[in-house]
Amino acid sequence: MTARILPDRLTRLTASSAASMLLWLSRTVLALLVAYPLLSAIDATGITGSPEHDALLFRPGSLLLLELARLGLPWFGAIFKISLLLGALSALCELLPLAGALDVLHDSERPLAERAARTLRHFPRFLALGAITWAAQAALLLAASLLDTALKAALQHADERLLTLAPVAWFGLALLAGSWLSGVLDVARAAVVRRNANARDAVLEALATLREQPLALLCGSYVSTIAGLFGYLVAAWLMTRLDLSAQMPTRIALAFAVHQCAIVFGIAWRVRWLRRALELGARDSRLSSGC
Amino acid sequence: MRRAGRDLLIGALFTALSGFALRALVTARSAPPSPSQQSASMASFSAPSAAAESVASYDIDAKLDAVTHRVSGHETIRFVNRSVAPLRELWFHLYLNAFKNDKTLFLRSPFGAGRSGDKAHEYGYVDVKKLTLVGEGAADGRDLWPNRDLHSPADPEDETDVRLPLPSPLAPGATLAVELTFEDQLPEIVERTGYSGSFHFLGQWFPKLARLEPDGTFAHFSFHALSEFYADFGTYDVSLDVPDAYRVGATGKLIRESHAAGRNQLRFHAENVHDFAWTAWDKFEIKSERIAGVQVSVLYPPHQERNALAELDSVRFALPHFNALYGTYPYDTLTLVHPPSGADNAGGMEYPTLITTGGPWYATFGGGHFIDIVTIHELGHQWFYGLVASNEHASPFLDEGLNSYAEAEAMEAHYGAGAVFDGFGLSVSSTALNRAASAARGADEPVAQGAADFASFRNLGALVYSRTAIVMATIGRVYGQARLAHAVGTYTRRFRFRHPGPNDFVAVIQEELGAEAATALSSALFARGTVDYLVREIANAPEPSAAGVFDSPSGRQQKKPDPPHAPGQYAGRVVVYRHGTLELPVDIELTFEDGSRQRRHWDGHGFTHNVDYAGPSQIIAVNVDPEQRILLDDDLTNNWHSVNGSAAPRAFERGLYAAQLVLGELGP
Repeated sequence: MTARILPDRLTRLTASSAASMLLWLSRTVLALLVAYPLLSAIDATGITGSPEHDALLFRPGSLLLLELARLGLPWFGAIFKISLLLGALSALCELLPLAGALDVLHDSERPLAERAARTLRHFPRFLALGAITWAAQAALLLAASLLDTALKAALQHADERLLTLAPVAWFGLALLAGSWLSGVLDVARAAVVRRNANARDAVLEALATLREQPLALLCGSYVSTIAGLFGYLVAAWLMTRLDLSAQMPTRIALAFAVHQCAIVFGIAWRVRWLRRALELGARDSRLSSGC
Repeated sequence: MRRAGRDLLIGALFTALSGFALRALVTARSAPPSPSQQSASMASFSAPSAAAESVASYDIDAKLDAVTHRVSGHETIRFVNRSVAPLRELWFHLYLNAFKNDKTLFLRSPFGAGRSGDKAHEYGYVDVKKLTLVGEGAADGRDLWPNRDLHSPADPEDETDVRLPLPSPLAPGATLAVELTFEDQLPEIVERTGYSGSFHFLGQWFPKLARLEPDGTFAHFSFHALSEFYADFGTYDVSLDVPDAYRVGATGKLIRESHAAGRNQLRFHAENVHDFAWTAWDKFEIKSERIAGVQVSVLYPPHQERNALAELDSVRFALPHFNALYGTYPYDTLTLVHPPSGADNAGGMEYPTLITTGGPWYATFGGGHFIDIVTIHELGHQWFYGLVASNEHASPFLDEGLNSYAEAEAMEAHYGAGAVFDGFGLSVSSTALNRAASAARGADEPVAQGAADFASFRNLGALVYSRTAIVMATIGRVYGQARLAHAVGTYTRRFRFRHPGPNDFVAVIQEELGAEAATALSSALFARGTVDYLVREIANAPEPSAAGVFDSPSGRQQKKPDPPHAPGQYAGRVVVYRHGTLELPVDIELTFEDGSRQRRHWDGHGFTHNVDYAGPSQIIAVNVDPEQRILLDDDLTNNWHSVNGSAAPRAFERGLYAAQLVLGELGP
C-alpha cells in the first residue's frame, strides 16, 4: 500500500512543482516587460548615475525618492499608462501558462507538443471565462458603490467611525466575493482542461460544484488567496528590517530572494487550489452522472 | 468534507497570521534619532522680556445664541497711543464681515475662499450697533460709529477694514477708552470661524483695533483670503454666556464659572496677548494634564480619544523642546481644540494660548504623523506669531515660515527620518517633503512678500511655509545647525512681546552666523535666489613620467618613456558648475578607481570651479554636495557623474516584484 502511495505522491509533487515553475517563470518574464518602461524612466532621470547608484532612493527620509517623483512626474504618468497597457496584455498572456499548468496538474505524462497544442486550444475559452468573471467582479464593485451611495443618506447622522468604515466594509465584501468568483472560475477552467468543455458547460459545471460543495470551493479558494497575502505581508515586513540604502550587494540579493520566495509561496498555494479545483469538478461530474 | 474543514482551519490560521503580519508591518518604524542629535541644538540664552507693552486691552461680554448662531457683545477697548505722533483716527478690523457676501475681498478670491478653498455656505457678519468714547474729554456719550468710513479703503464691496475719525487728536502717551456694542451672525464654518451643527468656533469675531506702528500709522488691511493677522498686545478679560450644556475652551485662564437659568457664565483672563478666540460645543470631551508647568487641556469630539492622547503626547515632547529653544512659554494654560468632522475648516489654527488641531478619527492609524505635525506646528505658533508678534499680513514668512522650520526641526528631533510618515518600510522626513514643495515653485515669486501679493495659496504654501523652512535648513546645514538654532533662539527671545520685521531677523542671522550667511538668506528670501550645482563630465588622462635627457649637478640622466599600460600617474579634472544667484559653499567628493575618496571644498563663488587631480588612480565618480546640505539646490539629480554609468539594481528588484504582484492579483 505504502509502495503505491509514494510514487503517486511523487508524481503529484513533480506535477505541482512543474506547474508552479511554469507559472513563476511566465509571470517573471511578463513582469519584466511591464516594469521595463518605468525602470527606464527612473534611469533617465539621472538619479541612478550617482556613485551610490539607486541606494539613494532607499535612504531614510526619502529625500531623493521625492526628488525622483518631483522631477519624473511629468513623464511618469505617461509611462505608467504604457506599463498599464502592457500589464493588461500580459495578464491575458498569463492565461496560456495557466492553461498549461492546469494541464500539467491534470495529466503530467502528456508529451510537450500535445500539451502546447491543448493549451492553445483552451486559450479562447479561458479568455471568455476570464471576461465573464471580470464582468461579474465589476458588477460586484458597482453594487458595493451603489449600496454605499444609497446608505450614505441613512447613515449621515451616525457615528463618524461608522460613516468611514461602512464603504470599506462594502468594498471589502465585494472584493471577497470577487475572490470567490475567481475560485468558481478556476473550477470552470479545470472543466475546460479536464473534459474539453466549452465555456458555457464549464460555467454550468462550476456552478453545480458551487451548489453541491460550497464549503469545499469557498474554503479552498480562500486559503489560496489568504496564504498568498500572508506571504506578501511577511515579505514586506522582512523588507522593513533590510536597509537597502547600504552599499551591500548581498542585501539586494537577499531582497530579491525574499520577494521571489513570497511569489513562489503564493503560486504554490494557488497550484494547490488548482489541483483541488480539478478534483472538485471531477467529483461533481461523478455526482451528477450518478457515479 | 474533511478537506473543506481542513481548508477552513488553514484559512483561519492564515487570516490570523496575516493580521499579525499587517500589524507588524504598519508599526515597523525607522530608528529614532539619537539623544545627542536631539540635544545638539539646545543652548543657553539670556532671559527674554517678562511682559509686553500694553497698547490695546479688551473687556468683552458676549452671549451666544446657539440656535441662531448669533453672538451679542459689549466691548470696552482701553487704548494707549504709544506712537510718536498724535492720532486723528482709529482703524478697526471687522474680520467677520469677510463672510458677509460673495463680493467681499475674501470671498471674491479667484482661487476659492482662503486657505481651505471653501466658500461660505451660510454668510456671516458683524454689526457694530454703537461706538462711544468714554473718559476725560470724550464723555458726551455720542455714538461715533455713523462717522466711520462705510467700507474698506478703495474697496466699496468690503467692510473688513474701517476708519473711524476721532473727534479730537489723541496725543502720544495719551489713553482712550472705546465702548462698542456689536452683534455677530456666525457663518457656517469657513476659514476657522463659525458653526457646524451645535459646534461653534469664534476667531476674529469682535471689532478689533489695527496695530498701531511706532510712527503713528495703523497697520490696517482688508481681510484677504491669503492673509492672517496683526495686532497689539494687551490684556483680554472676556465674559462668555453660553447654554448650560456647552463646554467652552478659550484664550487665557478661566477665572470664574457660574450656572444660572440654564446658562453657563465663564470669565477668561489673559495678559500679554494680542487676540482672543473661543469655542463652545455641547459634545466636547476633555482631557487635561500639567506639562512643563502649563495646564494643557484638549477639547475633542466623542470617539476621538486616540487623537486627543496623540495631541497630548506631542505637547509633552514639543513644549519643553520649544521652551529650551525659543524661550519658556509664559502663560499658565494651553488649550487644544480638535474640531469635529464637518468643521474641519476650524482646524489647524493658532491663537494666543489656544490652538486648533484636526484630523479624522483614524488619523493615528498607519504610519502617518499628521496629528503630531498639526499639533506641533500650531504649538510652534505660540512663539512665531504669539510671542514674537510679526506682521502676518505683510511678512507671512516670519510666522508661518519660521514656524515651519521650527515644526520640521521638532518633528525630526522627535521622530527622526520618519517625521511625516513611517510605516510599511517607508519613511518620509519633513525636510524631504518641504524640499519637494519648495523646489517645485521655488523661483515663482519672492518668499518675503505680503500674503495678499502671492498668486495663489499653493504658491504661498510652497514658498512661505516650505521654502522658508528649506532656506533655514540649508543655512543650518551649511553654516552649522547649532549656530542657527542659537540665532533663532536669540531672535525669539530678543523680540518676545514685540513686533519685529524681516530686517530684524536678518540682522540677528548676520550677528550670529556672519555676513555670508545673512547674504545668502536675504537673497533666498527677498530676491528669489536659487542655486543649482551640477557636474557634467570627468576628464582623466594618463600622465606619463617625463622621458628624455636631463642634466643635473649630479650628472646627465637619460629617462626612457614608460612602457604601454604601465602603472603610473593620472591627471584628472572635474568641472563643477553653479547656476543661479545663491553662492553657497559646497563639498565635492571624488571617487577613484582604487576605491579611495577625496573631499574638496568650493566656496561657491564664481560660476565654475575646476577640481584638478594628479595621482595614481583615475577618477571614476564625482559627487557635489554628497550630504545634501544645500537643500535649496534646484536639481539634486545632476550633482554627480560617474564614468561607470548608471545602475539601479534595487529599483529593478522592487519594480519586478511589484509587477509580479500586480499580474498575480489582477489577472483574469
